[in-house]
Amino acid sequence: MNALRLGSYTFSSRLILGTGKFSSTSAMIEAVRASGTQLVTVALRRFNREQAEDDLFGPLSEIEGLTLMPNTSGAATAKEAVKAAHISRELSGSPFIKVEIHPNPHHLMPDPIETYEACKILAAEGFIVMPYIPADPVLAKRLEEVGCSSVMPLGSAIGSGQGLSTAEMVKIIIRESSIPVIVDAGLRSPSEACAAMEMGCEAVLVNSAVAVARNPAAMASAFAKAVEAGFEARNAGLMPRSGAAVATSPLTSFLGAAS
Amino acid sequence: MIALPAWLTDERLSAEIEPLLRQTDAESLERLAAEAQAVTLRRFGRIISLYAPLYLSNFCSSGCVYCGFASDRKSPRRKLDASEIEKELLAMKALGIGDVLLLTGERTAAVGFDYLRRAVEIAARHMPRVVVEAFPMSVAEYRGLAECGCTGMTIYQETYDPANYRELHRWGPKQDFLERLETPERAITGGIRSVGIGALLGLSEPVGEALALLRHAKYLCKTYWKAGISVSFPRIRPQEGGFQPNFTVSDRFLARMIFAFRVGMPDVDLVLSTRESSAFRDGMAGLGITRMSIASRTTVGGYVESDAASASQFEVCDDRSAEAFCAALRAKNLDPVFKNWDAAYNNPLASEELA
Amino acid sequence: MSTIAIILNGESKEIPAGTTVAGLLVIADALGQPVAVVVNENIVRPDQRDSCILHNEDQVEILVFAGGG
Repeated sequence: MNALRLGSYTFSSRLILGTGKFSSTSAMIEAVRASGTQLVTVALRRFNREQAEDDLFGPLSEIEGLTLMPNTSGAATAKEAVKAAHISRELSGSPFIKVEIHPNPHHLMPDPIETYEACKILAAEGFIVMPYIPADPVLAKRLEEVGCSSVMPLGSAIGSGQGLSTAEMVKIIIRESSIPVIVDAGLRSPSEACAAMEMGCEAVLVNSAVAVARNPAAMASAFAKAVEAGFEARNAGLMPRSGAAVATSPLTSFLGAAS
Repeated sequence: MIALPAWLTDERLSAEIEPLLRQTDAESLERLAAEAQAVTLRRFGRIISLYAPLYLSNFCSSGCVYCGFASDRKSPRRKLDASEIEKELLAMKALGIGDVLLLTGERTAAVGFDYLRRAVEIAARHMPRVVVEAFPMSVAEYRGLAECGCTGMTIYQETYDPANYRELHRWGPKQDFLERLETPERAITGGIRSVGIGALLGLSEPVGEALALLRHAKYLCKTYWKAGISVSFPRIRPQEGGFQPNFTVSDRFLARMIFAFRVGMPDVDLVLSTRESSAFRDGMAGLGITRMSIASRTTVGGYVESDAASASQFEVCDDRSAEAFCAALRAKNLDPVFKNWDAAYNNPLASEELA
Repeated sequence: MSTIAIILNGESKEIPAGTTVAGLLVIADALGQPVAVVVNENIVRPDQRDSCILHNEDQVEILVFAGGG
């Protein structure tokens, strides 16, 4: 069975959705349903009685087979992220935590040092730790060593829609990793998600590309198909690249006639 | 019977290259060569790193059917003493060599750990890189070598087929398949910075061997991500005793295997020795091969002119001088390099850094 | 009736002395959805809220899940 394994959980869908930036909670729920996703990420915010109708925990809980992966966005330090993780587990009952620590509010790039410290603590506490990281192969191995269940290198800056600008680094991470590699952030189009899967990612996480599309539910469905197509293609064994331009004299002529 | 490690049969590790190995047509070979060349150029530029082997002794305790040094062979046995080792190294240095591979047979009373450590100490005074290809050792022994300046270890599993392995290794400590298989890991754990692996092609079914070898390399890279891993492609050559290999590995298959490895593992050194002919070595340089031995002697010592003849482990095929070989590489627009890192960087891998 | 001043979600708030966390949730109109409550860095679980009494200058956070990537 080609299931995605994260911790003790298995998922048949390899598309993970973020729940931010949608025009309304109902638009977000519609997109989640249309995508067939089984794992969505949510953030913590302060309760505000005026926004009580925007509750999404209730509507999300009604979707069968959906697991919540709270994230620690808003945290700027490992300590804050660990606190957010504890609160999130308390609130959701889910062992998943996306460790997301971006101290700079402009580019929202993840802090590798705080992320490593937080992951070390949370993995030891039994969380299914999913760190959001720069596409750094060494950081990825160090996080694997401390017990993360996956690594989630960014494709490009959150919300930037610049696609897989880190492709070469992600390929190295995939080559060296024994845990699932999930591209998260910056993807704009389903073809990019498909390319990430063909490259060897085990899943992709998409938010803005769906939330900000003209028709989020339709876009979510398109992403789901693209992720499936990329995964199937990889398993089917892509034909070898035809490589460099054809040499004027064959490279293999020294091997003589076929034997 | 033996508890084989999971990676050895993990098809996912070798899935990418398996179809490449099973193709047999000339067109796919040429395409694969082009891709291997492009990958090599991107990752290694035009560099071919060069090393030379120094056989310290041909004493051996094992009975491997395919080897000229097996303990039942009648040829004279020798081992170099400290001053002879020094003289050989100086002769090699005069040829420009800066990377030496110290070889012995399997462990014997005459040639054991202490002898090897002494040899490493001497070699480290003269060479920035010292690699050993000897007998499987313990973690503590590898640590001892690393602390004396040993920067690398090479060990061939010979064959990854346990049943065939049992038949080929008639007696001696080399009979232990798993102990040998786990040797690279013990070396890295002991602080040796790089390990080289390989299968002696021709002993077992070649495609199966290639897949097992690739899985071994990938497993080591993923698990010991700070260590350098290299892969060699020794193919059985004629030797004293006239062993006939079970399988024929053609030039085309060996080339295909090397191209596939380069494409599947863009970052590891792929090594070709002087077992292979000049034409094959010249052709493969830059098409995936990034490291080669040079001016090799496979008799004990041999670099100092006055050495007495002794049995050789195998016949050298490419016997060109260092100068001639470098000229051939330059003619192909390749860059032969004798030295990589300076000896100042040769500290053992610290134990708290390891996986 | 005496009151105490706590900081709720970053803002000063006066509540009757002796209010429990459960009582605060009623005052804050937070009974409609599942919430997490943190008092002075300590998580107060639902089964503890009836017995957890608030004191002057307590820092209280009432948190819910929201959309996020």
